[in-house]
Amino acid sequence: MDTKTKLKKALADELNLPELNAPGFDDDAPLFGEGLGLDSLDAVELVIVIQKHFGFEIKDMDEGKTAFSSINTLSAYIDKRLSE
Amino acid sequence: MRRITIQGIGTFGGFGTGVQALAQALEKGLVAPSIRAVPTGHGATELAALRADLAPLEVLVQARTLRRMDSFSKLALLGARLALEDAGLEPAGNDNLGLVIATGYGATTTTTYALMDSISRDGDACTSPIHFANSMHNTAAANISLQIGATGPNLTISQFHLSVPSALLTARQWLLDGRVERVLFGAVDELSDLMAYLWMRQRGEHWAGPMAPLATQQETAIPGEGAAFFLLSARDEVKPSYCTLQDVSTGRHSGPLACGTDLLVLGADGRQAFGATYAAAAKGARVTCFTPHYGSMPSGPAFDLAAAALMLRRGKAYATPASEACDFSATVLPADAPLAKEEISCLTFAADRGFGRIRLGGV
Amino acid sequence: MTQTKPVAITGLGCICAAGDSVVACLDAMFRGDRAPAPPVRFTTTHPYPFPVFEVPQFLGEPELLRTSALALFAAREAIVDAGLNRETLDGLRVGVCMGTTVGSTMNDEGFSRAYRAGQEPDLAPMDLILNSNPADVIAREFGFMGPCQTVVNACSSGTDVIGLGASWIAAGICDMVVVGGADELSRITYNGFISLKISDEAPCKPFDVQRKGLNLGEGAGILVLESEQSRQERNCKARAFMLGYGSACDAYHQTAPKPDGDGLKRAIAEALACHNTEASSVAFVNAHGTGTPDNDRVESHTLAAMLPGVPFLSTKGYTGHTLGAAGAIEAIFCVACLEQGRIPASIGFVTADPGLGGCPVSEPLTFTGTVALSNSLAFGGNNAVVVLGRGDRA
Repeated sequence: MDTKTKLKKALADELNLPELNAPGFDDDAPLFGEGLGLDSLDAVELVIVIQKHFGFEIKDMDEGKTAFSSINTLSAYIDKRLSE
Repeated sequence: MRRITIQGIGTFGGFGTGVQALAQALEKGLVAPSIRAVPTGHGATELAALRADLAPLEVLVQARTLRRMDSFSKLALLGARLALEDAGLEPAGNDNLGLVIATGYGATTTTTYALMDSISRDGDACTSPIHFANSMHNTAAANISLQIGATGPNLTISQFHLSVPSALLTARQWLLDGRVERVLFGAVDELSDLMAYLWMRQRGEHWAGPMAPLATQQETAIPGEGAAFFLLSARDEVKPSYCTLQDVSTGRHSGPLACGTDLLVLGADGRQAFGATYAAAAKGARVTCFTPHYGSMPSGPAFDLAAAALMLRRGKAYATPASEACDFSATVLPADAPLAKEEISCLTFAADRGFGRIRLGGV
Repeated sequence: MTQTKPVAITGLGCICAAGDSVVACLDAMFRGDRAPAPPVRFTTTHPYPFPVFEVPQFLGEPELLRTSALALFAAREAIVDAGLNRETLDGLRVGVCMGTTVGSTMNDEGFSRAYRAGQEPDLAPMDLILNSNPADVIAREFGFMGPCQTVVNACSSGTDVIGLGASWIAAGICDMVVVGGADELSRITYNGFISLKISDEAPCKPFDVQRKGLNLGEGAGILVLESEQSRQERNCKARAFMLGYGSACDAYHQTAPKPDGDGLKRAIAEALACHNTEASSVAFVNAHGTGTPDNDRVESHTLAAMLPGVPFLSTKGYTGHTLGAAGAIEAIFCVACLEQGRIPASIGFVTADPGLGGCPVSEPLTFTGTVALSNSLAFGGNNAVVVLGRGDRA
């Protein structure tokens, strides 16, 4: 399973966001605010979800904030961290 | 002293959804328990229970709003929405509305399952922050205030089976003190796997029903779940009220409790341990008891309150289920018996001689 | 809010990491002592040792949760401080109003794990919880017959109880109300606050530019509130007076405070209005000051707007965040500081944050005023505030 598919499945399950797996979902859509409506509590949950499913910790939430803007940015960030 | 009225009621539980469903159950007779499968150390075991259905909430509230909410918060939110609707208030923008919630045990599904699983499975560092936040007893109040825009004082009380009179004492005091003009008061309890399991473990062989709470020497309790919410107002409301909230008192009793009202709604809920206390308090009185419609739970007294409010509005009593089983000397009112006076006391007893007495009057 | 008469506070009791009595806590704070350390009561698999403020060498009653044993310990000090005993209490209408978070949760790790693993665990841990409702425990111990209420408003509980208890006195429901808060350090809350990314890996630094979050603590604080008639009958002086209580909900977010401090502003305004207290007459503010970036920002700007120029401090650098106990413990500190006419330094604060509305006191401060204000902010957007005035005890 590629990173993006695995990420979308994890987020859909753990943040209760079935729309992520719906056909035609825009992977560039903002996850926070007006997009999917996630907020600061979801952000810290996201850190845990990534830790659980991809095995690394995001310590700096500011770094996380940029990476969290969409499925595509987050997927790219995970690939980058995993290759380090 | 300021006059406090009940402007709206939102109830749901084993009898169905809405105050009308409660009124129908009270008119038509006994609600049949359903069977709940409870996981135990020797496989799933069946328990008769009066269960609440959350499906109506999904019609009232968008799925995205409910995304992070656990079952406990959903039960409370449905009760809150039903009470606001019944009172004719909007489900948003309720500036300065006070909120007081009573719960016997809080969010037991989240604390025992979701939160503990996140820790056990993946280690301390993977504790779920969302489940942790949801495990707080006041999460339901937080979610309700967010959804309906209730910006007034906000309070959650947990005192086991005295949670309702205890929390109502404070809600009433806020209105009397003039802190707020309206309070949304509610009680909520969920029959999680954990609570169902504890119920079975504490009782051994369990009873399949029906409940006969006036057979005070027998254990006939069936567990219930649900929520009962009330819109209390100290304003001069245009909309007709159900009744007035006259008095709330709670504490420990040292002897028989004098009620001095025409009619008692007994919170007796088939738990034999409290049967004799109810029998002694109700001896010779005119009594009713409706717990078989919603079951035994810490929030029970809030449902008693709803039933009493409905009786005051219609001016007639409801029949007490299994009244023929009454084993103490009292006048159990038959269906549609007229209320001699516009006054009802709801009576609850709990461990350590704890009591709660809520007195309602006519409008 | 209708005007109510001041309600006397005639007894105090406290136990937390700073000390096992009110006097011991105050002494430690004025000495500038604090000793946060990794937890010793439980193990964790966290890669970093987040420090906590544990109560050392406390052995409570085995039949009670640690939370309720802490509550009982502080209650005994408060009852003695108020000059009461079982005989003098007999016949009085005494209520109990206690705040907690851990002390009300139907959760025991061992029981949960065993049950989830399909075993039939011993019910003892659940019976322990059911036997340990903090308000019930105190009422049972002293034979109190009045209303008994456990407030579970997360971190504002310990402040809410003082306001609620005072209203029972003012309304004539009780002669006396024992109010307070208690919470033990638990692995669950420890993990929870770390996951929320609001725990500091170093000793907490409320209002400092380097602040990273809170350190958890544990403890209990108890206050005896008493009617004028009751204290006159037994000729008892007041250590302080409850002058006002306010509370309001942000209705903004499940765990974060509203950025404009709307709920806190309304709570402060209500608390001051109860007894027509002028903001300028407030000698100092005990801030909630958890040391989380969000809390300290919102709170400092709100204080700058509502109580400009009034010195403030956070004592959480001495005690850690004791959750449901915090408001009560800190109200007790306020009373003791009003008696002494001085407040300790807000420990952990070194460097000002230009993004905040102000700085806490970095040195002990003496004052001549007679009124203090104490804030609590909580999950669920709750804000609770009490105003306390100096008593008539010499």
